[in-house]
Amino acid sequence: MNEDEKFFAWLDGELDPAAAAEMEAKVAADPALTRLAEQHRSLGAQLKGAFDPIVEAPVPEQLRTAVRPPAQVIDLVAARRVRSMPALAQWAAMAATLAVGVFVGTQVPRGGTAPVQVQGGKLYAAAALDQALDTELASTPTGDVRIGITYRDSAGEICRTFVAPAGSGVACNARGRWQMKGLFAAPEGQGGDYRMAAGMDPNLAALVDSTIAGEPLDATAEKAARDKGWR
Amino acid sequence: MDHSSPFEDQLASLLPRLRRFAHALSRDAADADDLTQATVERALRSRAQWEPGTKLDSWCYRIMRNLWIDTARAQSRKSAREAPEEEGLSVGEDPRPGIEAAVDLQRVMAAMSQLPDEQREVVALILVEGFGYREVSEMLGLPIGTVSSRLVRGRTALLAMVGEQ
Repeated sequence: MNEDEKFFAWLDGELDPAAAAEMEAKVAADPALTRLAEQHRSLGAQLKGAFDPIVEAPVPEQLRTAVRPPAQVIDLVAARRVRSMPALAQWAAMAATLAVGVFVGTQVPRGGTAPVQVQGGKLYAAAALDQALDTELASTPTGDVRIGITYRDSAGEICRTFVAPAGSGVACNARGRWQMKGLFAAPEGQGGDYRMAAGMDPNLAALVDSTIAGEPLDATAEKAARDKGWR
Repeated sequence: MDHSSPFEDQLASLLPRLRRFAHALSRDAADADDLTQATVERALRSRAQWEPGTKLDSWCYRIMRNLWIDTARAQSRKSAREAPEEEGLSVGEDPRPGIEAAVDLQRVMAAMSQLPDEQREVVALILVEGFGYREVSEMLGLPIGTVSSRLVRGRTALLAMVGEQ
């Protein structure tokens, strides 16, 4: 450590007591060093004074939300990784990690089919979810899966958001099949009373916002799109 | 719907300090909050890598610093492509010393942003965040002598810019 560094280390309280006493005496005996010490103490105080109000300021809502995300985002890439497993293990793994296992059993008591299936590295709606996306209108919910909004994305595909007991998501119709674009597990404790949940999951809303082209379809256009096979 | 865990609680309580560090690293407040948000997201994703019992704050500061280096690099590439624009910094020329905190902050941030990145982070961690030399050397993976010499150069340059008032 050179003398400059030692001087500042003394200023910052980083020297051991003996070295600190030595530096203190040196500074006291040297008016230029005494003045430099004052200037740097003042600089330190200015820095603290400028930045400390940030610590006192309210944390923006966006950041507080970031720490406690309202729903766990399901990682579609991770989901794809499991596609080489046997079907049962695959679904078991997905149910465990993706927390959408509630679909199984409640929706398809006998068929043993999952609400989503992985094919060619892509995740598609299946069983009751597939059926709801194909046939259900937002205005006439029937089963446990409810359709939210229907819209065209920037690629021109029809996409539909849905809410089910275990979570919500959005799927887009690619050549007659509903490909999952996002799946979001319901926050804990909200699984059962999803109908009460206020509004759309923020993560889902953000996903829709980033992909929607124009406005969502209204009820007439939604029905017309269904009649034309979602093309 | 409380589904928070102690990890999230601790992270939430660190937010004000992380924001302060982000402001010291970034050039403006919007960048600082983006950086804080990215840090939070990275920390949540990487939580398995944090060893309970070690200091969460050092861990998060390190994440933030690394993210900032990545974005700073991307931005400097971007600003190199675009015609560099003089920001019109009036450091040291503020005719009204000691006015509102926001103005102070802006002035100090402007001066900080003139420092080379490697000096700015050391100045921020030690003089603003109050970490010790040893802790910063561990956080940044640098020899303590390097931390010390960067700090000397950074604060000397800052003093010249900000003046003593």
